[in-house]
Amino acid sequence: MSYEDWFREDRLPHIYCAGCGNGTIINCTLAAIDQMGWKKEETVFVSGIGCSSRAPGYILTDSLHTTHGRALAFATGVKLANPDLNVVVFTGDGDLAAIGGNHFIHACRRNIDLTVVCMNNQIYGMTGGQGSPTTPRGRLSSTTPYGAAETPFDLCELATAAGANYVARWTSYHVRELEKAVKVGLVTPGFSFIEALVQCPTAFGRRNKFRQVIDHVEYLKVHSLLKAKRDRMLENHEQIPEDMYVVGELTRRDRPAMGVKR
Amino acid sequence: MTARVEFWQGNTACAEGALAAGCSFFGGYPITPSTEIAEHMAAKLPKKGGVFIQMEDELASIASIIGASWTGARAMTATSGPGFSLMMENIGYAAMTETPCVVVNVQRGGPSTGQPTMSAQGDMMQVRFGSHGDYAIIALCPATVQEMYELTVKAFNLADKYRVPVFLMADETVGHMREKIIIPDKVERVERKPLVPGTLPFKATDPDLVPGFPQFGTGHHVHVTGLTHDERGYPCATSPKVHGALVQRLVDKIENARDDMADYDIINPDAEQVFVAYGAPVRTVQQVMHDKNDTTVGFLRIRIVWPFPEKALAHFKNARRFLVPEMNLGQIAREIERHVRVPVRSISKLGGELHTPAELIAALEAGQ
Amino acid sequence: MKLAIDENRCKGCNLCTKVCPYKIFKEGKKLNRKGIVVPELDRPERCANCRLRNLYGRQLCGVCQLTCPDQAIHWIEEEPYEPHKVAIEY
Repeated sequence: MSYEDWFREDRLPHIYCAGCGNGTIINCTLAAIDQMGWKKEETVFVSGIGCSSRAPGYILTDSLHTTHGRALAFATGVKLANPDLNVVVFTGDGDLAAIGGNHFIHACRRNIDLTVVCMNNQIYGMTGGQGSPTTPRGRLSSTTPYGAAETPFDLCELATAAGANYVARWTSYHVRELEKAVKVGLVTPGFSFIEALVQCPTAFGRRNKFRQVIDHVEYLKVHSLLKAKRDRMLENHEQIPEDMYVVGELTRRDRPAMGVKR
Repeated sequence: MTARVEFWQGNTACAEGALAAGCSFFGGYPITPSTEIAEHMAAKLPKKGGVFIQMEDELASIASIIGASWTGARAMTATSGPGFSLMMENIGYAAMTETPCVVVNVQRGGPSTGQPTMSAQGDMMQVRFGSHGDYAIIALCPATVQEMYELTVKAFNLADKYRVPVFLMADETVGHMREKIIIPDKVERVERKPLVPGTLPFKATDPDLVPGFPQFGTGHHVHVTGLTHDERGYPCATSPKVHGALVQRLVDKIENARDDMADYDIINPDAEQVFVAYGAPVRTVQQVMHDKNDTTVGFLRIRIVWPFPEKALAHFKNARRFLVPEMNLGQIAREIERHVRVPVRSISKLGGELHTPAELIAALEAGQ
Repeated sequence: MKLAIDENRCKGCNLCTKVCPYKIFKEGKKLNRKGIVVPELDRPERCANCRLRNLYGRQLCGVCQLTCPDQAIHWIEEEPYEPHKVAIEY
């Protein structure tokens, strides 16, 4: 069996634009799930609203495509009512950090046994490219035509501070690393948060001088800073460039968790 | 076996009714005057193997019970006006995805924060039309502590039978009042119709227009979405035909069952002046009926307000006038006006206190 | 095993041309019937997974498949005695 068997073949190809990284993240997540040996009938995907949240519709399991920002609250209900189900949440940066920010920190605090994969494209893709809480400073979007003025959220720091058991960040370029991170997240009891930076060629790249899909992926690759290297730089009191994304396993701990399989 | 007699608060009776009905998931958020329901569930539910969780807000409360409902649990939340307003979006979601769940709204004075500790019936239109788009729901109105218990049980059965969010529209008066209650040994339980394997999850083949329930974890691989979906459950948001058929069915499955589920009492059907009441004002009308003891005064007591039982009004053939005491500015009186050809007098009372019998008698005499 | 691009699913983003360590995927030149320029395969027999998957009994590399956002890259079993175009490199 391979992860390709998890797709709802009758719904492919999906609605994502050419070059959108979300499809890659679905591949990596399903590859990790396939390695877990989970059965389809005991796995549930939950999502909110947005590009990322269309993902469960392409997966051949029970899935709940809910209202904007509330995916984690729905998932909390599913997981607590039946802890034998494996619950995976797909979400995006706007869904998770803006409208669903409160549910996010509280799900981390409760440390509910969910695995959350956040496809962070740093923009509201589905509505046509408005600035989101993770749009980096100076980046252009349809609602930040003079460059984003607000300081973005660091979702991984937020998850760690709020109490998640496992936190990791990779990009759509690091497919093998992301697959492994999702797998560790699935194995870890408690709240696992995996942030995947993805390219959005249509809404983000087009306005921010990434003329080709590859240009944006290349940017994500070059601006990834391994956690080990970041730690070394900190030890040597080196300046860490602001535009770098720290990638790797950022948090792994064993706080008491809720809704773990009986 | 003998039935048990207790002296309970309405909110306690509601929680006990839910437990008797087999509620196994409660997601809530504290709000006056409904908090006692959550407190009671927090104490009792874990001992029965159920789950109580205090969510971060009402948006999350209703979301969690919808999630729990899809795993097959009987799920409930309780709130009041401001929290009820927050729930509106996900109530539409529950209606669209045909998720059975029970929402208790112990109504208080509004709008906004209003009168947290006073009684009102101001959410009667919001419960029917509050979420965006066309949909239909079921709303029950208890007038006694006994009914808080019985209608809660009934709410769960209706929710599972019709796959729809069902609302127990109590008010602060009934919620906080203590009264004698007789606890039955056993309550009726109507189960959800399971999905026949191999059939489409959102295709209604039975005349009741309710499709079988594809519970999560049973291998149906169902995709549940709030988007307009076809009979497979797949998003189909741009087809006028699919959208029209889906929304029409969601409304029809409740509206067609209007007469089946209608729950009302009729006193003096030949009367000339007829009181129509639901919820706490029922108690004042009962007092007036008792005091006047006059066969020219009729009384229609409604327990299921939505879908509105308009055929009940036709029983009063000699009616000259309908009098509708409500703790709002005539929300249901307006609904009654749509169905009758005689004048409808709304006796509205704001401020959080019940109508006095004298007020109702004055209205009665003004029409003689 | 041989590599195959599903033309029904490919949206022509060319990410595969970036990630393959053997540079097997090359930007295409022709529009297909859906109006998409599907990448072309340059000597796909060099792909490690094509040659060794059946021998090792497991997936090797597979980064192109995992990266492809449109689930368009697959390996399919070859027919027996399927003709190969042999390129001799000097």
